[in-house]
Amino acid sequence: MTALQDTTAPVRDTHAPVRDEGEAAPASERAARLEAALGDPLDPDNPHGHLALLRADEARDAPAATEALLAEAGLGAEFVPCDLGGRLTDLEELARVLRPLFRRDLALGYGFGITSLFAACAVWTAGDEPQRRALAAHLLDGGRVTIVHREVAHANAILRNEVAAEPGPDGGWVLNGHKDTVINAHRAEAFVVYARTAREEGPRSHSVLLLGPQPPASGEVRRLGRVEMPGMRGAHFSGLEFADVAAGPEALVGEAGEGVSLALRSFQISHCLIPGVVLAGVDSVLRQAVRAAVENRPDKRPARRWHKVLAGVFADLLACDSMAVTGLRAMSLLPEDSYLLAAAVKYTMPDLLREDLEELATVLGARGYDRGPLHGGFQKLVRDLPVAGLGHAGTAVCQAVLVPQLPALARTAWFRTPEPPAQLFEPGAPLPPFDHRRLAHCGTDDLLTATLVGAAGRLAKRRRGYADGSPHATLARLAQAFVAELRVLRARCAALSAPAGGTGFDAQACALADRYALVLAAAAVLGMWEGQAGTGSFLEEPAWAVLALSRIARRLGAVVPDLPPSVVGSVLGEVLERCRQGRSLDLYGTALAG
Amino acid sequence: MDQVRCAAPLRVPRPHGPWQGVKENLTGLGNAVVHTTWSEWLPSVLTTPRLRELLGPDWDRYRRTPDATVRYRFAAARLLIKYTAAAALGIPPEYLDLAYRLGGRPYLRGFDQIELSLSHTGDLMAVGLSRTGRIGVDVEPAGRNVRLELLEAQILTPAEVAEIAGLPKAQRVPYALKLWTLKEAYSKALGQGLRLGFKEFGFKESGPTGARLHAADGSAATRGEWGFATHPVMGRYLLSTACHDAGLSTADDTSVGTMLDRGFLSAMNQSAG
Repeated sequence: MTALQDTTAPVRDTHAPVRDEGEAAPASERAARLEAALGDPLDPDNPHGHLALLRADEARDAPAATEALLAEAGLGAEFVPCDLGGRLTDLEELARVLRPLFRRDLALGYGFGITSLFAACAVWTAGDEPQRRALAAHLLDGGRVTIVHREVAHANAILRNEVAAEPGPDGGWVLNGHKDTVINAHRAEAFVVYARTAREEGPRSHSVLLLGPQPPASGEVRRLGRVEMPGMRGAHFSGLEFADVAAGPEALVGEAGEGVSLALRSFQISHCLIPGVVLAGVDSVLRQAVRAAVENRPDKRPARRWHKVLAGVFADLLACDSMAVTGLRAMSLLPEDSYLLAAAVKYTMPDLLREDLEELATVLGARGYDRGPLHGGFQKLVRDLPVAGLGHAGTAVCQAVLVPQLPALARTAWFRTPEPPAQLFEPGAPLPPFDHRRLAHCGTDDLLTATLVGAAGRLAKRRRGYADGSPHATLARLAQAFVAELRVLRARCAALSAPAGGTGFDAQACALADRYALVLAAAAVLGMWEGQAGTGSFLEEPAWAVLALSRIARRLGAVVPDLPPSVVGSVLGEVLERCRQGRSLDLYGTALAG
Repeated sequence: MDQVRCAAPLRVPRPHGPWQGVKENLTGLGNAVVHTTWSEWLPSVLTTPRLRELLGPDWDRYRRTPDATVRYRFAAARLLIKYTAAAALGIPPEYLDLAYRLGGRPYLRGFDQIELSLSHTGDLMAVGLSRTGRIGVDVEPAGRNVRLELLEAQILTPAEVAEIAGLPKAQRVPYALKLWTLKEAYSKALGQGLRLGFKEFGFKESGPTGARLHAADGSAATRGEWGFATHPVMGRYLLSTACHDAGLSTADDTSVGTMLDRGFLSAMNQSAG
């Protein structure tokens, strides 16, 4: 990374948001409107098309015309809870609204939008009314807020270093310290700071402080030089320094010492939302690969050697979406128990999507190196995706949530927790309004393993009715394999040493947490498949679930039964058909522009 | 960003090391490559009482392999991976669960601070480790007898063929062999093996050991996020490395003991307890 000198002061967007229309429109309609406004990505004259977005990326600029369009559309209101005047009613809706943006440019999705949400989450979760209202007004007015993380274990550039807050003279705080790499630091007027407020390590070492949008009464927030990241080149990362910055007592979000706990509660949102939106970028690359594979083919069907790859990646996308949407819906339906699933989604899926990109590289061949508008999005996503997932430091945060829970889950939850309500697996069905304040990190139930055990039992009961070697029979066998895996996990996790209240952990738990997260992915697929019964859609058929589960089982190292030959054909048929019709390659199959 | 530098391979003749150089390379360069012969590691396979624990899920495959040479070589290679990774992670090798991605690339389940790659040919085994991103290693006998026309037809790009044509005759096959190992290393880093079409991308020498990745038409294909190197090993092998840096400026510390954040752990343990 190179640091360039850049002392630009923050500049407020000149585009006032237009919020007179669309406020009451459902998410699907808002998403469709944004998709239409962003237009055909392959049209070279479209100012929001691939050509323009890739040029901006090449120049390390944020795409100005598209940012202006998003500001016009009042996208900032999507991050503000509806009781505070925004449009955020549930997180599944939010992911749907954001997908048109992420289908085109991950860096723009982060740089324009979700960074503000990730920062604001702590305030929506634990802030008092004046804080919530002030931040809502700021975001609704087109302002930005960014997050100043504390330093976590094995920190990378984005998570390294932290800010300390000492008690100030008036019951407030004085902040000192710096971060090397903060997205939007140059243009955010407000900051959510996870500041160290106690010297000793432990659960109460940090507190959350909300600074801005007004400048501090004394001291200085210095915006340091831009840091050039190899991925998300258009997003602006820079250093940030707090020099004797005064914050009044009203800056404290929640209680003093609540920062670590607040991070555990509010990070669930980003943990589900990131996979739930970045999959849209992989959706674009899969469509690109399908286009490449059918190019110059007389029957418009890919050569046989690409069938498995194209169908397999599509099945992975549906698995990723099943897990992400289940997590996003769980935060509305069962907010006290969603944290395990959220950590598992973020742990499993960004990595799986990266593998998918590498598989698609084989189909794209030489086109994968092309920087032009038709294929340049591939290399851009290959660069952007690791930055979005935050790499090892990002997965370690999820492991720190999962690992301590494993012994208790094994002893008290697995094979015992009752099944969650069916609405969890009905994408797009109405949800109770999402309330950030109910998010927790201590629930003892495990919803999805209950779904796995239940679904496997139902499949086993019906098994006599399934022909041997049929997709349904294969699905039943795969479901049983995951139940068997959960049994092994139960025995091994129950035997782990569990230090109560301490910070030690059994190194072997890390591999077990990995296996557990994959079991949850399988459970989400089965739940989603059952939830589609009677819809008459492709998702009601077992083929996609069989293919998705077989790939998850192989990642677990399990012995996978031979798949019926119709499975790959059926999933491939759907991906080709959706590409022909211009529909998204996720659970929703939404119409796309171009 | 700076060009990724690939570490020179280090010889580690037995499971108890020396591992210091591996740790230094991993800290300093972000990657490390170890090589040895399987016959040097064979005594450990034959004498360790913990072979079953050390092989983990690979134990069944080991037991099912009828040919003794293949079986011992398989076990020696797994031991090499596990001891090398254990040195970097600071935990006993039998704690490691060596798993395989769909394309066959090995990885350490639950420990993504380290990515790895394995290659063997003849009696040579090599393992690459990286903390910055994907890594691939490939070894071939330096004197391998190959038909240039065959490589040109099956794995080299027109730009590479043209470059080889310009070389003195004696250098052509060695250079083509080097390109081949680079292509193998790169495709192993991507986890795709032979599924990646080798004529769809090419390499060009850069400096005494380095190389750069090019698109099939000869244009530059990366922006410095990849590093490539080829080293002679034991006077009779070529060892090529492909190393990716995802650019997150990852922590130097790769040990397991420090990887879970103590603040989060204490808060979770408090709520669990």
